[in-house]
Amino acid sequence: MLLQVNNLKTWLRSGGKQVKALDGVSFSINKGETFCLVGESGSGKSVTALSVIQLLPQDISSHPAGEILFDYRHDGGRIEQVDMLTLPEKRRREIRGARIAMIFQEPMTSLNPVFTVGDQIIEALQLHNPEMSYEQARQRTVEVLEQVQIKDAAQRINEYPHRLSGGQRQRVMIAMAMACEPDLLIADEPTTALDVTVQAEILLLMKRLQQRRGTSILFITHDFGVVSQMADRLAVMRKGKIVEEGPLRQVLSAPRHAYTRQLLNALPENLPRPTAPPPVSSDEAPLIDIRKLQVYFPIKKGVLRRTVDYVRAVDGIDMQIPEGQILALVGESGCGKTTLGHAILRLIEPTGGRIRFSGNTISGLARAELRPFRQQMQIIFQDPVSSLNLRLTIARTLTEPMAVHGIGANSAERLELARQTLAQVQLDPDFVWRYPHEFSGGQRQRIGIARALVLNPRFIVCDEVTSALDVSVQAEILQLLLELRRERNLTLLFITHNIGVVEYVSDEMAVMYGGRIVERGPTGDVCSQPRHEYTQRLLAAVPRVQL
Amino acid sequence: MSNSAISSSRSGRSYSAQLIRETFRRWGARIGLAWIGVLVVAAVFAPFIATSHPLLLSIDGELHSPVLQFLSPVDVILLVLFFSVLVLALLPLALRHKLLVLLTTLVAATLLSYTLIAPPQLTIYEQYRENITAGKYDWIINAPAPYSPKDYLRDMGDTGLEPPLASSERTHWFGTEENGADVLSRMVHASRIALGIGFVATGIAMLIGIIIGGLMGYFSGIADIIGMRLVEIFEAVPTLFLLLTFVAFFGRSLYIMMVIIGLTSWPGYARYIRAEFLRLRQQEFVQAAIACGLPLRSILFRHMLPNGVAPILVAASFGVASAILAEATLSFLGLGLVDDPSWGQMLNQAVQASTFNWWMAAFPGGAIFLTVFAYNLIGESLRDAFDPYLNKNS
Repeated sequence: MLLQVNNLKTWLRSGGKQVKALDGVSFSINKGETFCLVGESGSGKSVTALSVIQLLPQDISSHPAGEILFDYRHDGGRIEQVDMLTLPEKRRREIRGARIAMIFQEPMTSLNPVFTVGDQIIEALQLHNPEMSYEQARQRTVEVLEQVQIKDAAQRINEYPHRLSGGQRQRVMIAMAMACEPDLLIADEPTTALDVTVQAEILLLMKRLQQRRGTSILFITHDFGVVSQMADRLAVMRKGKIVEEGPLRQVLSAPRHAYTRQLLNALPENLPRPTAPPPVSSDEAPLIDIRKLQVYFPIKKGVLRRTVDYVRAVDGIDMQIPEGQILALVGESGCGKTTLGHAILRLIEPTGGRIRFSGNTISGLARAELRPFRQQMQIIFQDPVSSLNLRLTIARTLTEPMAVHGIGANSAERLELARQTLAQVQLDPDFVWRYPHEFSGGQRQRIGIARALVLNPRFIVCDEVTSALDVSVQAEILQLLLELRRERNLTLLFITHNIGVVEYVSDEMAVMYGGRIVERGPTGDVCSQPRHEYTQRLLAAVPRVQL
Repeated sequence: MSNSAISSSRSGRSYSAQLIRETFRRWGARIGLAWIGVLVVAAVFAPFIATSHPLLLSIDGELHSPVLQFLSPVDVILLVLFFSVLVLALLPLALRHKLLVLLTTLVAATLLSYTLIAPPQLTIYEQYRENITAGKYDWIINAPAPYSPKDYLRDMGDTGLEPPLASSERTHWFGTEENGADVLSRMVHASRIALGIGFVATGIAMLIGIIIGGLMGYFSGIADIIGMRLVEIFEAVPTLFLLLTFVAFFGRSLYIMMVIIGLTSWPGYARYIRAEFLRLRQQEFVQAAIACGLPLRSILFRHMLPNGVAPILVAASFGVASAILAEATLSFLGLGLVDDPSWGQMLNQAVQASTFNWWMAAFPGGAIFLTVFAYNLIGESLRDAFDPYLNKNS
């Protein structure tokens, strides 16, 4: 038993109030095994990890009860069981980094940008091994970088973090964590910010390193796909408590607790499929018709800011969306899928090409000429926090666009329409008098949908609408969108990176890579028989829940 | 988890109401606001607080109020504004309507008071004291500080530069200045200049800054490049020396001072607003507003400005303080207003005579210090309230 957490309570102070972040959490991790903590946001997963390594800010946190027993392996090999909660800070520092290491979620900010990658690892090495010379530490650093499969490690050691991609940075983070050969590695959502293909590589790498060294991993994630790839045992957390714990197979195939079942049922692949979509007549003209659409961003250099080259975010795309269809646009971050979505609505000016909406060419229209079309084309955004104006009541947010487009005769009628729309997205109509900060993420996303709906649009771009949401909320939002599509015969362009969501929601899918669409077809066909090499790679990398 | 707890406790209130509450929960802001409040009251009621004209007197059973007779149009306008603000603050109206009402009252009050009110050209402050000694009045109610700022006490002989409470027949709480006028009275009247120059100069600077910064931030590209050069040009202008030059050429005028301080201090605000607008433009709610086809006016003023105005408010409260300091500096150098009272000008007299006149340094200096300090306290609290990371723990 490497780590044993008994009845751990962690209270956080926030604005003069005590929040019971952890309320009696107990679990244990054996040597060499991977233990996953799963739960939705706010369930206390990260607080557990930070409590174990004792990194919570001491002025706002307290541990009224519990113990965290860790088998501290001294340099000579002697093993002493210590309680992290009562250990003096000096000895905790000996353990942190050397025996318990941590990897964070955000690879972009967890490396110090003013030091080279090598220096950061060397510093950690020398700190925990004072007898190690600089040359030895450097040698060791190159070795660990090679182990995490960074090519030309001897050269890359001198690079600054900004020269590395997100995946490479996460590899460096792992190298840094593994450099001192820790007994326990805490990984807090290490792949959440990464593309699926990169995620698959990182997960594979972590598994290999674990097998070679016998390291134990405390793996924190919200993604059941990742869990089923990594975990030996797992625990499901909810509101600061562990509701279910057990071996992977047992929990996934025969969940005992209602909450676990609820989470598993909310996965897109387990959701009940909706009734078959209405047949789309192919002879009708498509609602959206795009020809050779290009969006180039100039790269400017020098004093005179001359344009030396372009970033080809959208590089000559042809695409048609028939009325009433849900087309999913899939691709990794930076492939241009969001830019394409915004360019269709002319939120970003296309550099070239033609956009037709229901037979009218809208590329090249002036602001005022475009306004009638704005009503028919709407967008729903990813981030429910920043997509609503904090200063306006929901009533104002919803009625202002209606007034501009002349929907509703007077303000009383518009208000009534706003209330009806809120009811349609399954919110209380009286919410119109509230401000956005009073709502949860899922509720805000519904308000975002309501804002798009009040104008009675025919076409909506859904830009990663569920990726900031917990899985159960995601399921509700997806079902709501499908229902609205059926009621209003909406046409949706569904931009996402989540293949599970694509399979559940879309009729057709298009795969984007490097500013171009590399494959397009009915969702079922593409998923079962991908033709393009990138699509094959993408689908192979998707972590699936294996039951 | 902490988010939901916080949002539930703050429900039902608008974001700006919440921020104001958050600001004035801090002690610094309360103290600052209290001092500014005292100053505002002193400035508005100056003709009643410190004046040689008796508030009320009776001659042969007949009531007279000389102070009302001598009210100037400016005094009346200030009084009307003060009371209409008080009344409007209690009325449940939209902010836009309140501003509209206030503006109409201001225009109406200005027109009416300048056409209707004509105080006597000649003021003889000595007459009341002579009449009292002659026993002409049945009874008399004087102001708390019974000396006008320009009442040089000619009938009392040489009264120049007396320390506080030095004379047995007259009470000068803060002493007298070199011409023999009461320091307290002059300080009360000088608070108008201090407040006025702070608010008007900062108001001008904010207006220009918001317009230019907003255009730079929203349109970026060529507008940004031109605006930025303009900002750099104006930032290079040394305010104090420009003021000195203008005073030398065009004489001493408070209004020129206000305009010049306003015209030279807008670049800071423009930079803030530009940065905010560049950030807000990418925000999804602004994109959503564009996608809804809202007119530019609404996008700029309803969706972007209220969300980007926070840092400017912080900067403005510091700006008011620095405008007051600029005026005080100028007056201290002897280049302020000639006869009208000002704190800086009084400070100047502390060292003019061969002796050090401590009361001329301590009281006006203390007032300048407290006022600048009060604005800085408010600015500090505003900044903390706007900062999402700080206000969680306090």
